[in-house]
Amino acid sequence: MIATAMIALLVLLGLSIPVGAALGLLGLLLDPLYSMLPLTRAIGEISWGTSNEFLLVAIPLFILLGEILLRSGMAEKMYGSMSLWLSWLPGGLMHANIGASALFAATSGSSVATAATVGTVAIPQIKKQGYNESLFLGSLAAGGTLGILIPPSINLVIYGVLTNTSVPKLYLAGIIPGLALAGLFMAAIVLACIVRPAWGGRKVDSRWEKRFASLVHLVPPLGIFLLVVGSIYAGIATPTEAAALGVVGALILAAFQRRLTFTMLRDALEGTMKSTAMIMLIVIGAAFLNFIMSAIGLTNLLTSTISGLGVSPLWMLVILVVFYLVLGCFMETLAMMITTIPIVTPIMIALGFDPVWLGIVIIILVECALITPPVGLNLFVVQSLRKSGSMNDVMLGSFPFVIMMLIMIALLTIVPGLALWLPTAFG
Amino acid sequence: MNANSTDSYGVLGRLLHGATILSRVAMWVAGGLTLASALYITADVLARGLLHVPLGGADELSGYAFAISISWALSFATLQRANIRIDALYQYLPTRLSAVVDWLALVLMGVFIAYWTRYAFDVAGASWANQSAANTVLATPLWIPQFLWIAGLVWLCIVLALMLIRSAVALVTGDYETVKRVCGVRSTQEEAEAEAEAGERLVRGEAQ
Repeated sequence: MIATAMIALLVLLGLSIPVGAALGLLGLLLDPLYSMLPLTRAIGEISWGTSNEFLLVAIPLFILLGEILLRSGMAEKMYGSMSLWLSWLPGGLMHANIGASALFAATSGSSVATAATVGTVAIPQIKKQGYNESLFLGSLAAGGTLGILIPPSINLVIYGVLTNTSVPKLYLAGIIPGLALAGLFMAAIVLACIVRPAWGGRKVDSRWEKRFASLVHLVPPLGIFLLVVGSIYAGIATPTEAAALGVVGALILAAFQRRLTFTMLRDALEGTMKSTAMIMLIVIGAAFLNFIMSAIGLTNLLTSTISGLGVSPLWMLVILVVFYLVLGCFMETLAMMITTIPIVTPIMIALGFDPVWLGIVIIILVECALITPPVGLNLFVVQSLRKSGSMNDVMLGSFPFVIMMLIMIALLTIVPGLALWLPTAFG
Repeated sequence: MNANSTDSYGVLGRLLHGATILSRVAMWVAGGLTLASALYITADVLARGLLHVPLGGADELSGYAFAISISWALSFATLQRANIRIDALYQYLPTRLSAVVDWLALVLMGVFIAYWTRYAFDVAGASWANQSAANTVLATPLWIPQFLWIAGLVWLCIVLALMLIRSAVALVTGDYETVKRVCGVRSTQEEAEAEAEAGERLVRGEAQ
């Protein structure tokens, strides 16, 4: 049964059928093969139940929040301020890349959008200040991935829904690892630029009064962050309600910047609905497949087969890391998350791993997938922003940051408290 | 967007073009519903926090709006080839074979959506027959949001059928260009370029 299902899934995906439909078709196929009852009929109820689930309403709202903020014109000013504060470090503006990405991540739930926005502002500086191109581009691609680890995060909402884990807890758990990972990225840049000072580019002149004056540009993103994440922990709002508050906050911000126009809003809504439809097709296909899989006993069989192998939890974690690293090389990240998480997490939780902690580890692995060739989407985004040169520059420059992500996972394994301290203290 | 305006199969092309325009309008309406949900939920939170009188129904209504907006947005997303497909093997196929695969993928997608729509009807039909109402203060008759939701799915079936006929004709006549344009995979490259372009336009274009 496991083999049949695996082969059918690989054939369907290999035929490049849209992932959501491929998952659904696998469900349609497994039902007559292994079940006495016509389970297929359940797709109506399942898809309706999934489609009006209030927690999932957070997905379009968070995407919309990001789309509006992108268009509100705050990215450029924020980057300017970050560069004044961080560019004295060896590696100069590359630290601003990481810092601006981390801050942008605190308002946006998407990695690709973070890389595209910060990258657009930063890339002209490479030639102007004489940076090592490869490392600079790598810092943009990697910095962008912080978008899904630092709350709010669309991917964490999806993980929460798929595994019945509390989204507020996941958000809290993402904060410290997110900041720590940004710190590790910066450490990598400092190290590289101490070894090769020429990579670091020219210093940007900055004085304290300029620095403090620029702080005002950090207020809008921090305001949105406090509105969204703060309202959840103050007990005022659920994640979905917080997302709605964020959307309204972003609209007000855009209005103040005189960017709130009909065209702008229409474009933002169009982008939002396109992404939401695409995500929800996969979520519905996966929800249906999961129902079929547990009804015919495939999920239990998988879990018991794998736990029956008698692999120790630590080795299982190593296998998980390798599995996602390999899979991430040729699968789109959202599709990868939604297809694997319902199968992987029950196994890991049965082995004694904490679901919240596991969520953070998986998100970091998804970040890896975004910057590992051949199909790391962030690599392509950064590459298309610069228009010339070889893709290899971006891949090579991202490599040190992949190492830092793996170090982060090792740290989380040694000190689970990095992720779990905040959720236990406030949860 | 007006994918087929230049080729020789005028009627089909025009139909598909019309369907694209309609789907785009549906997408805006869906977006409008999402925005309305955001505003209503915010109003509900504020009313609850400041006046201690919740408006009520925000979660229920936005859930319906969400379901309806997804089913209606799917057709435009599909026309725009926004659905995620895995191109690990696909990218190495020769043009003719990849066109066949594109067509096959569209057929199989159609099969899944047809099943989905078929059984979605059962859900709404049962609500209608039993006059089921939501177990909430509003006691919404469930068939209302459910039929609006299904209408989107039916429209998606129509759009898929049009895409299928158009690409089948193109496939038979060896017009692989058109097959790609109607239902080809958007490569990671294409995808990233669009994202990057959007990013640039956002930061630059509107920042006069």
